[in-house]
Amino acid sequence: MTAIVKQALLTFLLLMLSSLAVFAAIRLSGGDVTAARLPASATAEDRELFREQIGLNKPILVQYVNYLGKVVRGDLGNSLTNNAKISSLATEKIKNSLILGGAAIVMVFGVGIPLGMLAASRRNTWLDASISSVSVAGMAVPNFWLALLVVWLFSSTLGWFPSAGQGGFKYLVLPSLVLAAEGIALTVRMTRSAMLENLSQDFVRTLRASGLSESRIYFKHVLRNSLLPIISLAGLRVGQIVGYALVVETIFGWPGVGQILVNGVLRRDYPIVQFFSLVLVVVVILGNLAASAGYVLANPRLRK
Amino acid sequence: MITEAPLLDIKDLSVGLCAKNVAYDIVRNVGLTINHNEILALVGESGCGKSVTALSILQLQMSPPLFITSGSIVYDGRDLTKLSKSEMRSVRGSEIAMIFQDPMSSLDPMFTVGALLTSAAYAHQSVGKDVAEKMALEALADAGIEDPERRFNEYPFQLSGGVSQRVMIALALVNKPKLLIADEPTTALDVTVQAQILDRLKELSKNRGMSIMLITHNLGVVASVADRMAVMYAGEVVEMGAVSDVFDKPQHPYTTGLLGAVPRLGGAASDLTPISGRVPQPDELPIGCAFVDRCSRALVQCSTIRPILQVRGRAEVRCHNPVG
Repeated sequence: MTAIVKQALLTFLLLMLSSLAVFAAIRLSGGDVTAARLPASATAEDRELFREQIGLNKPILVQYVNYLGKVVRGDLGNSLTNNAKISSLATEKIKNSLILGGAAIVMVFGVGIPLGMLAASRRNTWLDASISSVSVAGMAVPNFWLALLVVWLFSSTLGWFPSAGQGGFKYLVLPSLVLAAEGIALTVRMTRSAMLENLSQDFVRTLRASGLSESRIYFKHVLRNSLLPIISLAGLRVGQIVGYALVVETIFGWPGVGQILVNGVLRRDYPIVQFFSLVLVVVVILGNLAASAGYVLANPRLRK
Repeated sequence: MITEAPLLDIKDLSVGLCAKNVAYDIVRNVGLTINHNEILALVGESGCGKSVTALSILQLQMSPPLFITSGSIVYDGRDLTKLSKSEMRSVRGSEIAMIFQDPMSSLDPMFTVGALLTSAAYAHQSVGKDVAEKMALEALADAGIEDPERRFNEYPFQLSGGVSQRVMIALALVNKPKLLIADEPTTALDVTVQAQILDRLKELSKNRGMSIMLITHNLGVVASVADRMAVMYAGEVVEMGAVSDVFDKPQHPYTTGLLGAVPRLGGAASDLTPISGRVPQPDELPIGCAFVDRCSRALVQCSTIRPILQVRGRAEVRCHNPVG
């Protein structure tokens, strides 16, 4: 119980600190907040008046406290660009990003673990070598470049999948693949090495001596042992996907949190940036909490 | 009794190490028999090939790099070296079971004792959950575990070394094998626990008519538990016979050396005579007798002609110039 309270307090503190950091960073990073909203013909006075209206002339800490006060009362503010209420934008954007990110997470583990197991079971064959080299490439290639590559190949050349936008399963394939690529590669390599390491453990010899079949030993015992390190690093995979979502959503025109956040930063749309970057922080925190919980559940030493 | 075929008959067994640039035998022309209802001790220094010999009976040796290069292992009329993988699997655990030196690392840490035991039962018998659990609890009790129901639900990390080894024994007993190979089962345990485990093994052998092949480097264990013993040196059996005969009248100079290196209660420190020199590496063995460089009784032919294992008195010995 105390552990849960402690975790909750920590999470709260983390949220406050990161919101303050984002709040200050966007204001200190320069750029003109009025450029997006006011016409180019607006005078210096007009611009000054606009800044005063949205409270930008006050010290940052005062602005932050005012902002928090509004948030507590349920007012997330409006976009500076088009005056849309953020609370009404949020659901749609978050839902879209969860679909994309969820698909990516499923691919990271659903593709990575079986491929890693396959490579381990065919150790030192051409199949293992190919899986391993593709996964090295997967880690080395930056995802914006990979995005261009798959769009060129599967969209422009082969015409199998649409290159951008949203709607239906077809639209999900390319962006989630690019988003998951590095995670898949890391999971393949981790699974392979964990499987091989556990295969050489003493307990495997005991299982063989008991007459268990090789497939039972491999798929039940060795796999269960190998999942522990993978689960323990699942939080990192979530963090990676959240980070890459900014790039991938922008490239593929996926109307999610990442896209609106990138546009918000470019236009110095402070309320948008403030809210949606916190959404990402929350997702990362929740992802890590889920990974820790999963690790405890999967590990009998901690569960007992 | 004498005419009955042995339970396990190993003939001329050689196990070779075969890697990229090297190939040599680390177990050479080993012949062993284990009779029904008998405890055979396989004795020797570490690295003499006794574990590899034992592992290769169930083909559990690390392969590659280890391969059986010649010989036969006949169990109950069948040559185990000729079995297919699935036939071998059905022998493991049900006919011949094996327990290992380090019980703490030899149990899968992710499963309960009960889950490990029942899956060993399912591996050989198509029984329901109730029956499998009953078999598991029985095996735990047979292995000398005091509170089987409690241990059934525990994980290996919750067990002490002694209890872990008993769980290993239970795992070996589940399918009621006729032969148990115990590879240094007590080496990693406290002395008091060692005695309990050995007593339990001896009892099991007597009550169930189960034969045991006990691998050890501890001559005290041999004297207290085994019926017959085989002494191994540098991959060969150098002497084999009833424990009392070998202890009373050791014939191979290596065996006498081994017995001379055991401290006795009340004996002076000067009574201890270590064997000088070291065991030759398997890739630098002499042409003749493997023990020739350390032997005080070596003759001329010892460095040129490899002696064979032959009956002498009541035992078998591989020596040109045996003691006594």
